[in-house]
Amino acid sequence: MSTLVDLFTLLIFPGGLMLGIAALAYEWVNRKLVARLQNRIGPRWFQPAADFVKLLAKEEVLPEQVVAGLFYMLPIIAVAGVFTAALSVPMFGAQPASSYPGDLVVTLYLLGLPTMCLGLAGSNTLGRFSLVGATRALTQFFSYEAPFMMAMLGPALVAQSWSSTEIVAHAGGRWLLLSQPIGFVVAMIGLLGKLEMPPFDAPEAETEIVAGALTEYSGRGLALFHLAKDAELVIGLALIAALYLGGGSTWWMFLLKTLVLLLFLAGIETLVTRLRIEQTVGLWWRYVSMLVLVQWVVTIVWEGLLL
Amino acid sequence: MDNGREQNETFIVPIGPQHPALKEPGHFEFSVDGEIVQSATARLGYAHRGIEKATEERTWVQSQYILERVCGICSHIHAVAYCQGVETLAGVEISPKAMAIRALAAELERIHSHMLWLGVAAHEAGFDTLFMYTWRDRETVMDLLEGLSGNRVNYSVNLLGGVKFDVSPELKEAILKGVDFLEERNKHYLDVVTGDEAFLRRTRGIGVMSDEEAERLGAVGPTARASGVARDVRIQAPYAAYDIFPVELVIETDGDLLARFVVRIRELFESFRLIREIVNNLPEGDLTVRMPRKVKAGETVSRVEAPRGELFYFIRSTGQEMADRVKVRTPTLCNWGSVLTTVIGHQLADVPMILVGIDPCFSCNDRMIRLRSRDGDRSWTWEDLRRYGIEYYR
Amino acid sequence: MKLATMFEDIVASIVHRPVTQQYPAERRAMPDGVRGMLTWDKEKCVGCGLCAKDCPSGALEFFVLDRKEKKFVMHYLVDQCLFCGQCAASCRQGAISLANEEWELAALESEPFEHFYGHAEDVSTVVAQRSHSSA
Repeated sequence: MSTLVDLFTLLIFPGGLMLGIAALAYEWVNRKLVARLQNRIGPRWFQPAADFVKLLAKEEVLPEQVVAGLFYMLPIIAVAGVFTAALSVPMFGAQPASSYPGDLVVTLYLLGLPTMCLGLAGSNTLGRFSLVGATRALTQFFSYEAPFMMAMLGPALVAQSWSSTEIVAHAGGRWLLLSQPIGFVVAMIGLLGKLEMPPFDAPEAETEIVAGALTEYSGRGLALFHLAKDAELVIGLALIAALYLGGGSTWWMFLLKTLVLLLFLAGIETLVTRLRIEQTVGLWWRYVSMLVLVQWVVTIVWEGLLL
Repeated sequence: MDNGREQNETFIVPIGPQHPALKEPGHFEFSVDGEIVQSATARLGYAHRGIEKATEERTWVQSQYILERVCGICSHIHAVAYCQGVETLAGVEISPKAMAIRALAAELERIHSHMLWLGVAAHEAGFDTLFMYTWRDRETVMDLLEGLSGNRVNYSVNLLGGVKFDVSPELKEAILKGVDFLEERNKHYLDVVTGDEAFLRRTRGIGVMSDEEAERLGAVGPTARASGVARDVRIQAPYAAYDIFPVELVIETDGDLLARFVVRIRELFESFRLIREIVNNLPEGDLTVRMPRKVKAGETVSRVEAPRGELFYFIRSTGQEMADRVKVRTPTLCNWGSVLTTVIGHQLADVPMILVGIDPCFSCNDRMIRLRSRDGDRSWTWEDLRRYGIEYYR
Repeated sequence: MKLATMFEDIVASIVHRPVTQQYPAERRAMPDGVRGMLTWDKEKCVGCGLCAKDCPSGALEFFVLDRKEKKFVMHYLVDQCLFCGQCAASCRQGAISLANEEWELAALESEPFEHFYGHAEDVSTVVAQRSHSSA
């Protein structure tokens, strides 16, 4: 019986199918918000789903001189990594499928898998644009990962636990946003960097390197990479809502909180121009990591954790 | 296809002929080391349509429409240059009213071209919001052009001997209102372009070109004016109505990408002022003057200021109904040297910005130029060209 | 040091409707001078044929069957037409005009694009001549 329950949780709700549908829905909301902020209409509700279905139906072109196994497996690994990461995150008002001490760290590591698959995919395809895109993706990965993790682990310091369910329970509906505002801001910007959204979309800068690491991907592989990125968006928002906004005890609270966060993300997306890759790295290593360190020091001193 | 797997081998990034950075086809090869550009080459000619040859087989009246379609963005100014040249050859003087309407349409076109460029440059930088808003506001000037001429692109306002359309009182009100709205919006865009810190980081100090370099490389138009070269055909050789309604020179000395932005937006303010003056003081006169069907023999040179720089027409007639030779030299062709020189040493991410900084118009561009090398003149016949084409693709 | 300079625009967009025109569900009114399809007033025409001569794209062909009786036929190919207005400008009698509302001119076959203007019997004469010469 419990195997069936596990399978259900894994494949239908809250993982698997539900996550897939939510990923496409959140992508639509993001595109619609950005469009409305730019005074235009934006796509209709079924656009991301239509894109996904259409890409699955198209022929997948294998470039010359690539390692075919890697080429086909990397999108699948990326999706698998993201969907596995969803197992420990409280989403849609339900308890996560598996929560154990340290699951927050595991989630954060698994969320880094799509970026690494992207970098590997770009280097594998050996196209000029793909190589530049892969280099930029990995460079950006090294710059935002540390501050982002530290920002996500700020609430963990307070709860003295590395398990996200325990952090939510410890907060007990309290909004850690108010006591760790810098951490919240860093977490939001870090999510933008992780998802390669503007202003940190140098790895997939359309006007410079066509599509970056994904230039040579088409058909199924591209559909899966896009799905992985959208699912990352949902999980990232769910994590930030859980850690900083007190979690969502019911599905509509969850929806409300994550959509408000998405509105902020869309706002930042539209307001700022794309940064060059060395400006991104400079920004993260010079300013943001200092900020998050300051936040940690303040939290530690404030909570008296040194005692 | 070994792509730089050895150490220190420079790596060629091709931009074009199909690339999201280019709105029209052109092939550039940048050899980069990491992200720094070491050298650049360009290959143009993808949009060559044989327009100059086509004018040799069409009457004077028909050629105007072919030449108008050399470029979609600056179509009116091509027609102005042509009509001016033919009218000079035929010894016909058009009425002051027709000259004023030509200048009015030219200034409206300058506004639409600069706002289009502002949006495209913002898009290349990744600032899509500015792109969407400038193009939204550009619809105002497109509506004004449609009200004047009936078409949003390829307005065909000119005729040999004058213009086709007049400015009615309703159109005058619409133009004044539209220009007020656009001026307010462009003041905001000037603030954005010169104030937004992230955007400044993409444009300040990029692509610097000093005024000596600009003169040496032959840059024209706003690209040269941004480097301090004081050259504007409307001031130095006034045509159409620019002697009655003079223009002030807009010049910056920094020579970087930011200066090019600022020059173009300030030119917009100059255009707004000029349009208000023309519309409020439209001279009297007929719209057209009678032109002979056969134009007298002779050669003439016609220079105008297109939105991108100095546009140059050479027209030769042998007294027939058809032109003997029309040679067009467009401003973008002169500005490529500045791109290929200034891009060296910059990051790959700056390359699309520098490319777009000269406001490239590839379809204007594709002409035959004759290069004189030190060891004599090498010109090709039709047979040579055909043979070269066949060999190249073998 | 200013960041987020376009903030007011974005906030204003939340309040206002999008500017996108949902064509063809909503159509804006066209300005008066829109250059649409050509119309020919055969009463004013004197048969000089300058319109056809000056057309840059060869969209007009002018047949003079009888100049004194004013039997003219104009053959107009809409898909060749540039809508430049040179014909309207060349005609000294003002018989041609382009300013009207017919600018939505897409069609699936090529028959709607060919127009013969003139009195019915003149048109059939010309059509017969053309098919005879091409047969």
